[in-house]
Amino acid sequence: MLFNSVLFIMVFLPLTLLGWFGLQRLENPRYAKLFLFGMSLWFYGYYNPWYLLVLLGSLGINYICSLLLQKYDGGRIAGCILAAGLILNVGLLFYFKYFNFFLDNCNFFFHTDWHLEKIALPLGISFFTFQQISFLVDRYQKQAPHYSFMDYACFITFFPQLIAGPIVLHNEFIPTLQARQNRRPDAANMLNGFSLFILGLGKKVLLADVLAIIVNAEYGNIAYLDAPSAWLTIIFYMLELYFDFSGYCDMARGIGRMFGFPLPENFDSPLRAVSVADFWRRWHMTLSRFLSNYIYIPLGGNRKGTAIKCRNILIVFAVSGLWHGANWTFVVWGLLHGLARVFETLFPKFRFRRDFFNRLATFLFVTLTFGIFRSDSLQQAWLLFTKLFAGGNNGFIVGLCNTLQITELYAVRKALELAFPTLLNPFYVLCTFGLLILSIALIRGPKAEQWISRRGRTSLGIFVLATLFTWSLISLSKVSTFLYFNF
Amino acid sequence: MTVQKAWKKLLIFIMVQVLLLVLITYVCDPFYQYHQPYLTDAQPFYDRDHQVPGSVRTSEYDSILLGSSVAENFDTSVIDAHYNCTTLKVVRASGSTADLLYYLEQVHDAQTLTHVFWCMDIFALNADTQVTLYSAETPRHLHTATILDDFTYLLNKDILFQEIPQNLAFAAMGKGTGGNAYNWAENKTFSAQQAMRAYAKPTQNVAPYIPEDSRECTDQNLAAILSEINSHPQVQYTIFFPPYSMIWWDCGYTSGISDEYFYTLEKALPALAACPNVDLHYFQAEQDIICDLDNYMDMIHYAPEVNQFMLDGIFSDSHKVLPETVPSVLADMESLFQYIISEGIYLYY
Repeated sequence: MLFNSVLFIMVFLPLTLLGWFGLQRLENPRYAKLFLFGMSLWFYGYYNPWYLLVLLGSLGINYICSLLLQKYDGGRIAGCILAAGLILNVGLLFYFKYFNFFLDNCNFFFHTDWHLEKIALPLGISFFTFQQISFLVDRYQKQAPHYSFMDYACFITFFPQLIAGPIVLHNEFIPTLQARQNRRPDAANMLNGFSLFILGLGKKVLLADVLAIIVNAEYGNIAYLDAPSAWLTIIFYMLELYFDFSGYCDMARGIGRMFGFPLPENFDSPLRAVSVADFWRRWHMTLSRFLSNYIYIPLGGNRKGTAIKCRNILIVFAVSGLWHGANWTFVVWGLLHGLARVFETLFPKFRFRRDFFNRLATFLFVTLTFGIFRSDSLQQAWLLFTKLFAGGNNGFIVGLCNTLQITELYAVRKALELAFPTLLNPFYVLCTFGLLILSIALIRGPKAEQWISRRGRTSLGIFVLATLFTWSLISLSKVSTFLYFNF
Repeated sequence: MTVQKAWKKLLIFIMVQVLLLVLITYVCDPFYQYHQPYLTDAQPFYDRDHQVPGSVRTSEYDSILLGSSVAENFDTSVIDAHYNCTTLKVVRASGSTADLLYYLEQVHDAQTLTHVFWCMDIFALNADTQVTLYSAETPRHLHTATILDDFTYLLNKDILFQEIPQNLAFAAMGKGTGGNAYNWAENKTFSAQQAMRAYAKPTQNVAPYIPEDSRECTDQNLAAILSEINSHPQVQYTIFFPPYSMIWWDCGYTSGISDEYFYTLEKALPALAACPNVDLHYFQAEQDIICDLDNYMDMIHYAPEVNQFMLDGIFSDSHKVLPETVPSVLADMESLFQYIISEGIYLYY
């Protein structure tokens, strides 16, 4: 199920809130947890119930590992249990996400002819697998207790974070789940959560999906792009991804807050970053935290000299790239970010004096590398780069702007078409650059939570929230998925 | 502001806005789901997939014109004047028999009919027998009378910002109204050059064959049509076969399926002609029309003049088929077909 669907907003969310807080009135919280677990499974299995087998299988195996770690506390057996758990988790991820990619590469490099039916990628497998790996490691290191099955199941399957994160740690979720004082609804939490959800929904439906109109059209037309239109396409993709992921994170955190769970921050104005390192402190923060805690530090982190540190950085970014998808485009994207981080590590003083230029340089680097990230293949990425840097200018940008058919402006468009057809192209260009300016203004403006704390309780602020909600609701007739669902 | 007050305000704002939008859609109702237009006298029809299901339920009529896109350019006001009736166009892209019969069932539920004018396509007769109406273009809620499943219609950006302004503009301009409902001929070019552009004659022909499932479909579709006709003896059915261009016949020949066409005709014509409440007219053997490609914009879509020609033929019974004339009609068609594939089509190469 999608957050940006009528079913979710009008049926699933109210029903789950009512059930959760209604059942919390019973003395035994188990029923409320069972209900939440059931609703999360409905949410997850809505499009493909078969995915539930993967989720429940993974959940069961990890819970058994946790149970065994309880029984064989410390020593070699515990190490073996952890290793087995890690192998099973990584194996599951490898099978569903990377096996086809692996076979394709074997066939390419070794001229073999192995074929396998395309394996469907269960939604969110990367997220719930990483979450469970972190729990297992914490269990082994005795930083996490063995929880009841229902607590563990709610922790892993809690629907706001199940499909596209944030990657939550057990100590950020389960203590809240167990706390007695969180069993009653809190009107302020509910209002702030709902407001955050509305802002996220608006970012996704009213901005990201509109930006996607141009991106999707032009990525299918790269061969025809000239340099200005290629630049506009990758900038629009960067903005689309930004508002898509930012919107998702806001919605997830907003829903979490409505249920009384303060989910960790995952997104902190990353396009304001002044370096690549700073970007990764702000973009998908819980993934960065996972990679840092469970790969970078165990590899030695920055404790073993600069060379090992640089190696570790490259490994972490290669894993990050591969985590995002089974394609060489993601690996190259990850490695380029890794190389940039290594460069920043080796030459920390190689920076502009003014942060504005550092911000601009970081934005350009990130936008260019995300151009590879969005490409279907390295060949397509190469073609895109040839257009970016040697595409000339053939006026294609006007055609690109014409693809932005905004429904809200249909009447204006038609009126111009009939009365002033010569003004139609300038109108499309105005719309496109208006959207660009609006996006930049929103990126530079206050974060959603800051806006809510400043304006969320004023009459104007509430009117804006209500209008955004209604506008988003009427825009849901063409539902689109979140980009991070693919990872 | 206190939390409670903020909640109250937020919910009131949302409810007021939502109700306002629902009200706007309900009053303007561009797909005629609930009523005929309140705001204008004219009722424009320009989007068959979305407007037919609702108009069947909410319009006032006593006759219908049934068919595919080739029926859309008929001027129904001419029919109304001749038969003293009020005709609604009930059209469906590709017009498969199952879809048209489904619409017909809805029509019988909504109105008492006196006349059905059925523009019958050969490809509709051997089309699949399953109803194909429900799709992203014609969501299920458009076919139901209840308002309870209409959320995506009542709260829909496309309806509010696109369909309602378009509907009001069409009504103000008088486009797509009255007998010109769904008329698509404006700005279209009908010429031999345009028609030939749609056809690349293959160098090698496929051997003639009749797919078994196609025969089954034809038989089942025909049985369903006869059942509809026989179960409504009070309704007069005027059924006519429209003239596709000779390109269509040649295409059928080169792709090996022309025998299938003749099988369909051999089955359909005698069966329909034998029904007491059916007037059957056959225009496909009209050589002057089908061999003159200036009448067409592609293989089958002809200029509005051809629609008028058919109406004149129906009114004067000049192309009427009786049970005893079926063999000669089929023979004429066969002989014209032989002319097309051996000579006629080459006049354009």
